[in-house]
Amino acid sequence: MSIKQLAAKLTKNLTVLPLVFFLSLASVSAQGTDSLSTDQAVIDAGASLFRQNCASCHKVKERYIGPALEGVYDRRTLPQIIAFVKNSSKEIQSGDPYLVALYEEYNKLEMTAFDFFDDEQIVSIISYVKAEAEKEPEAVVVGDPNDPNTSGAGISTGYLNAILVGLVIVLILILIVLMLIVTVLQRYLNQKELDEDDKEILASPFNFEALLKNKATIGVLAFIFMAIVLKTVIDGAYNIGVQEGYAPTQPIAFSHKIHAGDFQIDCNYCHTGVRKSKNANIPSPNICMNCHNPNDGILKDSPEIKKIFAAVDNNAPIEWVRVHNLPDLAYFNHAQHVEVGNIECQTCHGPIEEMDVVRQHSNLTMGWCIDCHRKTDINTQGNAYYDKLVELHKEQSKEPMKVEDIGGLECSKCHY
Amino acid sequence: MFQMKTTTNRLILIIVGAVLVSCSAGKDDPGKEYAPNMYHSVAYEPLKQIKDKDAGNWVSSLDDGLGEYYSSNPNNPNEMNMRVPPANTVRRSKNGDLPYRIPKDSLAYAAANVKSPIGNTQEIVDAGKLLYTRFCTHCHGDTGQGDGAVGQAFGGVPVYNSAALKDVSEGHIYHVITVGKGRMGAHASQLSPEERWKIVRYVQTLQKQ
Repeated sequence: MSIKQLAAKLTKNLTVLPLVFFLSLASVSAQGTDSLSTDQAVIDAGASLFRQNCASCHKVKERYIGPALEGVYDRRTLPQIIAFVKNSSKEIQSGDPYLVALYEEYNKLEMTAFDFFDDEQIVSIISYVKAEAEKEPEAVVVGDPNDPNTSGAGISTGYLNAILVGLVIVLILILIVLMLIVTVLQRYLNQKELDEDDKEILASPFNFEALLKNKATIGVLAFIFMAIVLKTVIDGAYNIGVQEGYAPTQPIAFSHKIHAGDFQIDCNYCHTGVRKSKNANIPSPNICMNCHNPNDGILKDSPEIKKIFAAVDNNAPIEWVRVHNLPDLAYFNHAQHVEVGNIECQTCHGPIEEMDVVRQHSNLTMGWCIDCHRKTDINTQGNAYYDKLVELHKEQSKEPMKVEDIGGLECSKCHY
Repeated sequence: MFQMKTTTNRLILIIVGAVLVSCSAGKDDPGKEYAPNMYHSVAYEPLKQIKDKDAGNWVSSLDDGLGEYYSSNPNNPNEMNMRVPPANTVRRSKNGDLPYRIPKDSLAYAAANVKSPIGNTQEIVDAGKLLYTRFCTHCHGDTGQGDGAVGQAFGGVPVYNSAALKDVSEGHIYHVITVGKGRMGAHASQLSPEERWKIVRYVQTLQKQ
């Protein structure tokens, strides 16, 4: 005898009131599930409605933005569900303690009123949810532990370098030990009485001192040594004022790899000035908090994200360390290069979408700027501003118009 | 004597080399500069701030007792170089737009009353599409199906052509972009009113797909 049948029987028999009360919940839920359909056509219709309208906030078996819908047909009666879907805020305002508790638990986020659904559509959605909930969980494919592809990670280059350095040190140590042994043996043999032949052999092998005093050896060694030193000096001199490779530690461990790489957020979303002004701009915390809001944002409990909330609470700026320090003597404008010149951010900033910590990729020297101005063609298509310039340029040259042809090498374009 | 001299010369070269190597930039070290006086702005730079009053003292040519690199405005809160706009002022824009004053919870009012000041030409829709791919795609997906990479992780992103949204008005869309709705934040600080209206025009084409 099913619970439903039992309940039905008990309801008829009013003498067992306490038991009826006890089982009333089960009886109500039975009413809910009873009108749900198991017809595949209805379930399919519900599935499509669910994907279009519900899936953005609800999953069947997991809590998402709203609660998991599995078992909702047991928790509530069908009329209750239909009323809530059609106008959730009205139902919450009616003061049902279950709904009020739910509303509080989900950060007072109101569900959209789906008043355009008819009752049948809502029933089909719930039928789909029930069918989905009762499906056997799919077998989870676990990686074969013996599979070398899953178990062993590749050896990092840093590790390999350490091994190489270790090997070199060991070899040098062996060389020193061997030389020591040779010296000790020589001394020992010198003290012994030896015949002529043996003495000759002892004296003959390789005279280190003679080799060292040989002019050719000294010359070659001195040349190699001086060449290395000179190269270092010249490289060092060229590197003064060049900050290529500068990758300062930032106050918040923000990763461009995660945001621009994995999640494909456009650079312009945060760097709002990049197409409008000289500076690309550092985003203000309200932009971070579009996703990382303190109520229900992504990673809201992370200590790094909490630094954003602290900055907002204290009304204090986040003191990011500037990576690209163009000298004050040179003028650079982002809007001009990105919006007008259509240059990709990566052309100058490198593979920023792969960097956890931002590193200065280009050397930002004048030679580097000039080189690009000499090589880059100007995209004049569909821009009337360039029409006369192109005409004049074509009279004088057959080459396409480059940045240098419209003053890209003028001193005063960047230095004033 | 000659031998002695070359040894000294070599030593000097080696030392110079070592010093120069230490001048190049590394992880946390921006390296050295040739002419710091020309590298560091005397005027306030908006995106730069050095609070240390002694920074660059050794190279300072000024008589104010402050280091050459010091760049902060002690008259501003947190000694920032940028200032907050004065209270009760509005930004003057090309189109004469005034700040959007309709509160976040008045979506129904905005949906009924806010009207687009721009037309609905193909150029505007194309411009809107460009802005949409920069500012919306990562959550709402390429075609407004709520399937962007961030949207998948963040959750709660609706489908534009679903029954609930396919008929919402331009005022509704503009209001949501400007002040946010549900889990979506306000995007008024990132987009000018005109840009928002262009996005509205493109979103309207996605509603009807």
